[in-house]
Amino acid sequence: MTASVISAESIPGTGRAAQGAIELRQVSKHYGDVVAVDGLDLTVQPGEFVTLLGPSGSGKTTTMMMVAGFEEHTAGTVLIDGRPVDSLPPRDRNLGVVFQNYALFPHMSALENVEFALRMRKVPRAERRQRASDALERVGLGKMGGRKPRQLSGGQQQRVALARALVFNPAALLLDEPMAALDKRLREQMQEEIKTLQKSLGITVLFVTHDQDEAMAMSDRIVVMKDGKIVQSGPPEEVYNHPITDWVASFLGDTNLIPCTIVERNGEEAVVDLGGLGLARVRDRGASGENYAVSIRPEHLKFRTRATAGNGCAAALVSSTNLGATVRHRLTAGGHELQLRELSSDRGTRILPDEELWVGWDADKAQLLVLES
Amino acid sequence: MKTTNPQQRLLALISIPAFLFLVIPTAIVVPVALNDSRYITFPPEGISFAAVAGFFADRAWTSALTASLQSAAIAVVIGVLLGATAAIGLHGRKFPGQPAVVGLILAPMIVPTVVLALAFYQFFISIGMVGSIVPIGLAHAVIATPYVYLTTRASLAGLNPALVRSAQSLGAGPLAVLRHVYLPIILPGLISGALFAFSVSIDETVMSLFMQSPGATTLPVKMFTDIQFNLTPKIAVSSALLVSVATIGLLLQVMFVLKRRSSTRMLPLAVSAQT
Repeated sequence: MTASVISAESIPGTGRAAQGAIELRQVSKHYGDVVAVDGLDLTVQPGEFVTLLGPSGSGKTTTMMMVAGFEEHTAGTVLIDGRPVDSLPPRDRNLGVVFQNYALFPHMSALENVEFALRMRKVPRAERRQRASDALERVGLGKMGGRKPRQLSGGQQQRVALARALVFNPAALLLDEPMAALDKRLREQMQEEIKTLQKSLGITVLFVTHDQDEAMAMSDRIVVMKDGKIVQSGPPEEVYNHPITDWVASFLGDTNLIPCTIVERNGEEAVVDLGGLGLARVRDRGASGENYAVSIRPEHLKFRTRATAGNGCAAALVSSTNLGATVRHRLTAGGHELQLRELSSDRGTRILPDEELWVGWDADKAQLLVLES
Repeated sequence: MKTTNPQQRLLALISIPAFLFLVIPTAIVVPVALNDSRYITFPPEGISFAAVAGFFADRAWTSALTASLQSAAIAVVIGVLLGATAAIGLHGRKFPGQPAVVGLILAPMIVPTVVLALAFYQFFISIGMVGSIVPIGLAHAVIATPYVYLTTRASLAGLNPALVRSAQSLGAGPLAVLRHVYLPIILPGLISGALFAFSVSIDETVMSLFMQSPGATTLPVKMFTDIQFNLTPKIAVSSALLVSVATIGLLLQVMFVLKRRSSTRMLPLAVSAQT
C-alpha cells in the first residue's frame, strides 16, 4: 500500500494544486417559507476533518449538498480554494462524494465503478485501469475488482465508494452519513480506517452525521447544527466538555444539568449558586441568556469523602446499574437528581456507608451554559 | 403418493377452460393457414404450405407486410424516443401542471381510436402529407408513446436518486448520466415498451384504414378489405404471421428478463479477510 496513487498532487488538466479549502459565506437555503439553512458561515482549512453534527432537519445534509452543488443555495457564496463555485455544476467542482447508501453503479464491477471518474476525465484506458486498481488495493479490495456491488458486503461497498471518490484526486471529500448502514463493530472499524486514510492523504473532509460518537471519534472540529444554524463549533473535547447551551450538552451525550444563578462572572470562570448544592466555581464561556445551568458529565462526577477539597456535596445513592464497562449510579444531592458514571473496574474501591457519601467534581469540568428552554 | 386436493382440482376445472377460451380462437388461424384448400375452411382438409407460399408470392400481400413493418419501425423509434425521454424528464419532478402533462401523454390510450383516426386523417390531408406510410407510422407513434412512457416509468421507480448525483460528482455530464445511470436501469422497460409499441402498430387497423393509399396499405387493412370479397387462406396466413411475430417477441422478452435476473443474481459471498 503506497500513498502515491491517491495522494493529491494536482487537479488533472488544470495544473493547479488542489488545496481543499472550503468556505461558506452567509449561505442560506429557503424552500418557500421554510428556512433549511440560515446564513451559515463556515471555513474548512485544507486537510481539516470537519463534521457537521445535528439531528435530522438541522440542515447539515442540505449544507453539504450545497457544497457539492446538488442543491442551489438561495443566498451567500460557496468557495473552494478561494474560488466561488456558485455557478459551477457538481461535475466541475472536483469533490469526491460518498453517499449514505454508497450509490455504486449496480451494473458496473467494483473496478469499473472506481474507474468511472477517470473515464469521464478521458484518462487513457490503461492508465485508468492501473489507477483504479491501485485505489482498490489501497482500501484493501485489490482482489474484488471484478465483483458487482451486490456481490460485496456493506463494508466492502463502502470501501469501493471511498476508492471511487478518491481516485481522481478531488479537492476535498464529502461524506454523507457513510456509516449509517453498517453494524456497530464494522462502523467503528471503518471510522478508524477513514480517519487513517484521511491523515495519510492529508485530504480535507467534510463529514455529515447525526451520531455524536462518530463525530467525536473522527473530527478535528465539530460543527453542531440546529434549525439551519451553527450552535457551537470547536474541537471534539471542547464541544463535549464545554457546551454553551443545554441542547448541545444533551445532544453530545448524557449530562447533569443543574439550574443555577450567577453570583460573579470573571473571564473564564464564574461563581454560581447551585441552590441546594451551594456555591461553586465553574468554567464560563461567556454565553448569555435568561436562564443558566451548569453541566457536569456523569463521568466527571466522582465519589468523594467529606474531607476532599473542591466542589462537592453530600449525596444519597438511589440505584446502581451495571452497564458492562461502566456503572451508572443515580443519586440525589441537594434536591437534584444526579447521574454518576464510573468504570466497573473502579467499583468497590469505595466502601462508605450511605450517610457519608459525597460527590464532587473538578471546577474545570463543570460548564456554565445557557438554558434554551 | 399425494394426489391433488379438491381446491387444486377446482382451480384446474375453471382455469383450463378459461385458458382454452382465450387461446383457441388465436391458435386456430395456424391450422387454417396450413390448410390444403383454396378457401378458408375449418377443420382443415390436409396440411399444405401452398397458402404460405402463395402469400409470399403475392406482391399485394408482401407489400402490405412491408408497409406494416415500416409503420411499426417508425412507431417504435419515435415512441421509444418520446416515451423514454418523457419518463426520464418527469422522473422525480414535481411542478404545477405535472398531472396535466402526464394526462396528455397518456391521452392517446384513452381517446377512441376512431376519433384519433379522423383527426389524423384531416391533419395529414391539410398539410398535404398523404400517400405514404409515414403519416400512418407517425400516428402509430402517438398511440405507442404512452406504452413506452409507462414501462419506462415503471423501471425508473427502482432508480436510486443518489446514483445520478454520484455520477455527476464524478464528472459525468447529462449525456454520460443518461448513458451510464438511466439507460442500464430503464433497459428492460425500454425493451418491453418497444415491444408494446411494435405490437400496437402492427395491430392497428382503424387509423391505417383511414389513411390508407395504394402505396400504404398495412397488413390488417389488407386483411380487412380482402375478407369482404376475396376469402383466401392468405388472410389466415397473415393472421398466423402476426400471431407468431407476437409470440416470438414475447418469448424474446421473457428470455431477456430471465437472463438479466440470472446474471445479476447474488453469488455466494466469499468471506473477505478485510471485513
